[in-house]
Amino acid sequence: MEELYGVFTTVIRFYLCRQLGSQDLDDKVHDAFLTITQSIRRGDLREPERLMGYVRTVIRRQVAGYIGTAVESRRNLVDPDHGAVLRDRQPDPERRAIEGQNLDLAMRVLNTLPRRDREVLVRFYLQEQSPRQICRDMGLTQTQFRLTKSRAKARFTELGQARFARRLGFSASAVTRRNEKAREQAS
Amino acid sequence: MASKVDRHLDEEAAEKYSLGHLSARKAAEIETHLLICEPCRQAVAASDAYVAVMRNAAAKLRQEEQRPRRKAAGR
Repeated sequence: MEELYGVFTTVIRFYLCRQLGSQDLDDKVHDAFLTITQSIRRGDLREPERLMGYVRTVIRRQVAGYIGTAVESRRNLVDPDHGAVLRDRQPDPERRAIEGQNLDLAMRVLNTLPRRDREVLVRFYLQEQSPRQICRDMGLTQTQFRLTKSRAKARFTELGQARFARRLGFSASAVTRRNEKAREQAS
Repeated sequence: MASKVDRHLDEEAAEKYSLGHLSARKAAEIETHLLICEPCRQAVAASDAYVAVMRNAAAKLRQEEQRPRRKAAGR
């Protein structure tokens, strides 16, 4: 059971954190684990080879339940006599600092790109237009579209690595040289 | 032959998953694979972070681009 707990809680944590954030995560993970083990004991899982699909279904139901409860309690917040408490949903200061640094990096990447490439990325990531629509509207091929995205991602990764290296005392140019060398070897 | 659930995610699939651009069936396959594959979970986590930061940066960029236009229109 201990081994099962170790295996399951890692994956349950990943799903719940991704869908619901880190608030009360340990409690939610524990609840999900109990639900899964109890339903297995009850014999709800008829085909053992479908275990992971079953786990996924249980977690998704649980996520839907939490979202339903959150919606309900938010609705009740308009009633001041209800007694619901507004929780702080902001990320912790360290997380916020990292996100701020990453945002600066992404802005640097976008600002160094040609206007057309920037437009592609804004349409894709912000306006959520499909690649097909972007290519049609901007007269691009699928390959040009993919290249624009992958160049921006490579630049972002490179700047991120350089920042990390500076913190550790390496120079940014050394990281860039190493990346160029790796690319040459790969091509 | 490896089943669909055993297949690792490539970068494009991870990004589509992060953006929610997959069919329910494909997303279910990926999610079931993620339950058994730590490297793919890491890839999805990295993809989630990248998509989120690019979305925020694109929104900020749009705001900055529109600011001078609004100023000019207000004159």
